[in-house]
Amino acid sequence: MLAVFLQLVVSGVATGMLYALVALSMTVGYRATTVVNFGHGDMVMAGAYAVFVFVGSGLPFAPALLLGLVVLFLFGLGTQRVLMRPIIAGPHLSLAMMALAIGYAVRGGARLEWGSEVTTLQRPYAQDAWMVGPVVFTTDDLVIATFVILLLLVLFLVFNVTPVGRLIRAVFQSQRGAALVGIDVHAFHGVMWGAGAALGAAGGVLLALIVPLSPDMGVWTLLRGFAAMTLGGFGSLHGAVIGGLILGVMEKLLGFYLSTVFIDITAYLITILVLLIRPSGLFGRQAAVRV
Amino acid sequence: MHLQTAVRAFAATALLAAAAPAALADNTQGITDKTIKIGNLGPFTGEAAVFNPLNYGPEAYLRYVNDKGGVHGRKFETVFADSACNEAKGIAAAKKLIYEDKVFMIMGNPCSGVAMAIKPMLEKEGIPWMGPAANPKLTRPTVPAMFHATYTGIESGQNMAKFALSNPAIKKFALIAHSNDWAKGYCDPAEAYIKANGGEVILSTAMERGSTDATAQVLQIKQSGAQAVMGCLYQHELIILLRDMQKFGANAVVVGALGADFDQTVQQVGNPAAVRERFFQPYQFKAKIGSKSLQDFHDIFVKYLKKEELPKAGPPTNFYYFGVPVGIVTVEGFRRAGPSPTREKWIAAIESIKDLDTGVLADKVSYSKDNHVGVNRMFAVGVDKDGKQTVYTQWGKPLPE
Repeated sequence: MLAVFLQLVVSGVATGMLYALVALSMTVGYRATTVVNFGHGDMVMAGAYAVFVFVGSGLPFAPALLLGLVVLFLFGLGTQRVLMRPIIAGPHLSLAMMALAIGYAVRGGARLEWGSEVTTLQRPYAQDAWMVGPVVFTTDDLVIATFVILLLLVLFLVFNVTPVGRLIRAVFQSQRGAALVGIDVHAFHGVMWGAGAALGAAGGVLLALIVPLSPDMGVWTLLRGFAAMTLGGFGSLHGAVIGGLILGVMEKLLGFYLSTVFIDITAYLITILVLLIRPSGLFGRQAAVRV
Repeated sequence: MHLQTAVRAFAATALLAAAAPAALADNTQGITDKTIKIGNLGPFTGEAAVFNPLNYGPEAYLRYVNDKGGVHGRKFETVFADSACNEAKGIAAAKKLIYEDKVFMIMGNPCSGVAMAIKPMLEKEGIPWMGPAANPKLTRPTVPAMFHATYTGIESGQNMAKFALSNPAIKKFALIAHSNDWAKGYCDPAEAYIKANGGEVILSTAMERGSTDATAQVLQIKQSGAQAVMGCLYQHELIILLRDMQKFGANAVVVGALGADFDQTVQQVGNPAAVRERFFQPYQFKAKIGSKSLQDFHDIFVKYLKKEELPKAGPPTNFYYFGVPVGIVTVEGFRRAGPSPTREKWIAAIESIKDLDTGVLADKVSYSKDNHVGVNRMFAVGVDKDGKQTVYTQWGKPLPE
């Protein structure tokens, strides 16, 4: 029984890493703009398909991945500049609806092209499995965990040590104040929106290594990413990661010991409970949230 | 003057009202001297668009028949309508086909939810339906104008269990299914068949759409000691289940439902060891896809479907072949209905079909007044120990090629 428990925890951590990456990318956008991007799941999906297309056109995986991230960065930047910026001073609901609409439009486009088929992204490495005691690890688990941990380190350094991090914190605390000291807040928003999309795309590519590609894959990940972000605390990078890991492990444990039905609803349950009991999440701070 | 106008208007309205029921009851709607108008309803967009080859298969056959001169001098004219596999959109699309486009019948419609949603409208208007949707409630009990040209969930579910039970060593079963009507349509008959034939269901678990892994389910299966798993899952989740069965060393064989394309599933699992002698599916066809005896259908698909109606890469897949009997039986009905077809004649013609060899299905098609499901017998398909796709008549017995 202990072996089963350990396996569930390990698998939960592996899945949670993916949720963490999605939550992390949403958090980056949120920290910069204080707007929760409800269309973010579709950026995750678009990133996976972008790399799929580049790999399909003959590019090796690494350049295809880089190109995919650049494309999604530019797409995020462009949509923020063209579609979000004109309404940025408007009601919060308008921003949320615009983000949703962009996501739906991206999904609709993907469905037109790939809606009729289930496809997969070929791994650039051989899938292998190892037993460590009674627990199975796969190459996928290691690749995903390594990527997310490295990314977390990089983001931690960027946010806490570099001038860019100070800029981000300044804008997060007071956009007006940041503008008064000469920061081009609009341009900054665009860049960070793009960065969030590119990070989401990275999450999409990792996800596509373990599940088939589907135009709707972003919807499922958005819910998990949002729940992880809520649990960890809006705006908290390490909170997003820990939230993702807790969600991944909870899904597995509840799914196995109570009912597999819980796998699908754990994200909703966590969101409801956190918003009721501790709206700021585990590591979040009270801030003006624009949704 | 006003009174006269009012009386005339009233009379005209009364005449129109009197004519309306006659129009509704028009049993030759959609038939002209030269054409037969058919509505082809299916998920051309949306998350279930992966099933639309089930619409293009029969369409290819109608175009082929048109090319050969049609039936009794009439050619088929298809009106496509998108249901997106969504009940509300499906009802709207069916209404347009029936009341605006005035089709003779609706063909296709692989989505059971949509088919069930439009069933009352079809019954009320007497519009014939010939389709591949798996829900057995569409045609059981029989509805005068509705016919299944392919297997319902009952036949498929029973055949899933029957194949596994044909291995005398397999007695303990696990069921893994989506929490929806479609999956129940397969797993319930499978469970009933298992229980009625000496097997035991020791685990019943869920795997929802959009799952990213199946750790909890596979560990449950391992712990239960199940020897066979009835996988009532769509392709996306079936692939994940098979990958995780291999990852965690679960030895049970998996028999999947018909919501997945076998070839694509095997290819996308991406690990031959995960499917070799491990993964099976009920098989609807008389021979292996790609074999000589199904070559004619391959050629029809390639010749008569447009580029955007065919797979982006590779030959036409399982779902094209699975859809084509819908077209074949529909056309056979018109052949038998004679040169002046009506709905009643077409329905009687379909009910007169006995042992029709479609050239594609594993079973011959037979209907009667009390049976509107044309087929029953199925084979099974799997990957043998040498990695070769093999059609089996029962466990360990390949169908002679």
